[in-house]
Amino acid sequence: MFWEVTLNLLKGFGTTCELFALTLVFALPLGLIISFGSMSKFKPLKAVCKVFVWCIRGTPLMLQMIVIYYGPGLVGQWAQGIDNPSMIITWLAGWTVFDRFIAVLVAFVINYACYFSEIYRGGIEGIPVGQREAGQVLGMKKSQLFFKVTLLQVIKRIVPPMSNEIITLVKDTSLARIIAVYEIIYAGERFIKAEGLIWPLFYTGAFYLIFCGVLTLLFGFIEKKLDYFRS
Amino acid sequence: MAMLEVKGINKKFGKIEVLKGIDFELNKGEVLSIIGSSGSGKTTLLRCMTFLETAEKGKVFVDGNCVFDADEQKRVGSSELRKRQLNFGLVFQNFNLFPQYTVLDNVCLAPKLLAKDRPDFRVSKKEIYAEIEENAKKLIERVGMTPRIDMYPCQLSGGQQQRVAIARALALNPKILCFDEPTSALDPELTGEVLKVIRSLKDGDCTMVIVTHEMNFAHEVSDKIIFMDEGVIAEQGTPDILDNPKTERLSAFLNAFSQ
Amino acid sequence: MKRILALVMAILMMSALFVGCTNTTTATQDEAPASDLQYIIDKGTLVVGITDYAPMNYLDDNGEWTGFDTEFAQAVAAQLGVEVEFVEINWDNKFLELDSKSIDCIWNGMTITEEATLNASVSNPYVENAQVVVMTADNAAKYTAVEDIAELSFAAEAGSAGEAVIAENNWANYTAVKAQSDALLEVASGSSDACVIDITMANAMTGEGTSYENLTQAFKLNTEQYGIACRKDSDLTAKINEIMSGLIGNGTLEALAQKYELALVK
Repeated sequence: MFWEVTLNLLKGFGTTCELFALTLVFALPLGLIISFGSMSKFKPLKAVCKVFVWCIRGTPLMLQMIVIYYGPGLVGQWAQGIDNPSMIITWLAGWTVFDRFIAVLVAFVINYACYFSEIYRGGIEGIPVGQREAGQVLGMKKSQLFFKVTLLQVIKRIVPPMSNEIITLVKDTSLARIIAVYEIIYAGERFIKAEGLIWPLFYTGAFYLIFCGVLTLLFGFIEKKLDYFRS
Repeated sequence: MAMLEVKGINKKFGKIEVLKGIDFELNKGEVLSIIGSSGSGKTTLLRCMTFLETAEKGKVFVDGNCVFDADEQKRVGSSELRKRQLNFGLVFQNFNLFPQYTVLDNVCLAPKLLAKDRPDFRVSKKEIYAEIEENAKKLIERVGMTPRIDMYPCQLSGGQQQRVAIARALALNPKILCFDEPTSALDPELTGEVLKVIRSLKDGDCTMVIVTHEMNFAHEVSDKIIFMDEGVIAEQGTPDILDNPKTERLSAFLNAFSQ
Repeated sequence: MKRILALVMAILMMSALFVGCTNTTTATQDEAPASDLQYIIDKGTLVVGITDYAPMNYLDDNGEWTGFDTEFAQAVAAQLGVEVEFVEINWDNKFLELDSKSIDCIWNGMTITEEATLNASVSNPYVENAQVVVMTADNAAKYTAVEDIAELSFAAEAGSAGEAVIAENNWANYTAVKAQSDALLEVASGSSDACVIDITMANAMTGEGTSYENLTQAFKLNTEQYGIACRKDSDLTAKINEIMSGLIGNGTLEALAQKYELALVK
């Protein structure tokens, strides 16, 4: 029984890991783009980015998932009820729901990219202005300045807040079951319904603990690696 | 012909006019010290010359070539701007070394990045880098930092950091080397080692502009002194003006200083 | 400044468009909506939203969906001429799933409640679930209201839903027995006045032509009826009702009910 439960939970844990990894792969770079946008000197772009970050950080992730998964289908359904041959309505009427996992992934990527963007922004703006000026006087291009001078210092600054956020992400993946994506908590809850077993649900905690433990060690290692300089 | 020629530089921050028409000339190999109380505009003048600030009016010539013209500044492309910038080296008050690089890498970084634009870079990358490192080691030797060549900035004292910063500025072979209060952030016992390095550069025929509060040093090392007050050059001349000020403002400044 | 003005204008125009659209909806709402049934037939699959809930929908040893509702839905889909696809959903979001067309119907032992009829178009009830009070026919004739039977002695299976009902009503004189059949035996033998058991069991074991001919169902408690939810105003509901009455008529549904020990709505 123990092995059967473990195997089933591992299956759910696979989805959890997949969601975690894919969210990081897309949200880390997207966050950087948003942070550049919100630091832009071009006012409208800056405003759009700030409002976007406000909306995403200001609403629960659960709601965002529901909107992203059910929203398009509801809009499509609504548009089909309209007897109006306009182009936009016809286009909207074609809207249907995404795949569940894709919808969850999109919601997570957008949500976490916004949080990451604020961490990046804090990290970048915290670099002393003298570093930029020193690079400028030494004839560096903006890209060289960013990659050769600023980036590593920013990384050093953002590792502690990022590790916090990433560990939160591990646990937030459990929200995916709101729209019936089969992740590990879902797998655990199923044993309650189907077999009357409660312990598998508590057992899922072990998976999270181990996963977060590994991440904590990893971030500790990175912090130590970057310990050789002070900025 | 003058090595450096500054003509009618004007700079405003908002509505406050910080520089109200600055003109001066400097010959090759000469050392110019700019003195004045804080807020007189001397650091801003230095930052305008090194393109960290953009002046609203005026022109700057180096070796007879115009490197800055306020009227045309917007039309200059970024790569041309960087090229012009390299006429000047700048040593900051706060050193601004790159914390994640060793002493050697701090000095080598910019030359190595610039070398990427050389047409023969791909073919002879190794030779170019070796040459840059060789040159960097000589400069580090010159500022007396060879024993600490593999250390990181956080392991060095302020004076040592500033000496590395001087080597870093020299690595790009600027025509004019500028110092922005190079000893202001240092403990008194550390200023000596930095001034010694600057003094040694004078013997090496370097054209230098130094913003400083060290009157004795300015007197000793300079060929020319500019005294700035409220955005204008109130008095200029040989170091002699420090002993015999002609204007009341300079004598008041010197009096306040000696007390 | 011009840019900001342009931005504001754009937002205003967008919202005007939105309001315009909303008005059109109210204007055209009375007209017949596109056929939901046709939509399902066109795409060739009936997507059924379920949860893992025995005996309605559950996984067999091979990991295939089975259960009363599973077989029922398959039978209906066969008559519609479409494939059936079961999708596990989060029960809390069942009506959102329906409206966004991620599923076509909710068919998972759904109790017909006001919430269901408000949010969806619900089929005729098909299965009934209730706890019933069983007593001798003579006794049953004496009582007309549930409140009057509190003084009687009761039997029920330990840990069953019937036991819970007894506890809820604070019927003090109570004996726990090992099985529902034992509870019936208690009443038949006269050691208890009444027992509380599942309606399925009561239908099978009491009344004319059964082993306990003199026992009868006196009261139904906690009655629930199951229905199938389709999208609001969908013509699928009528079609399902039509097919369902056919399946009841030819005995298919009764056979299923016996297989899974359920009681059809009579």
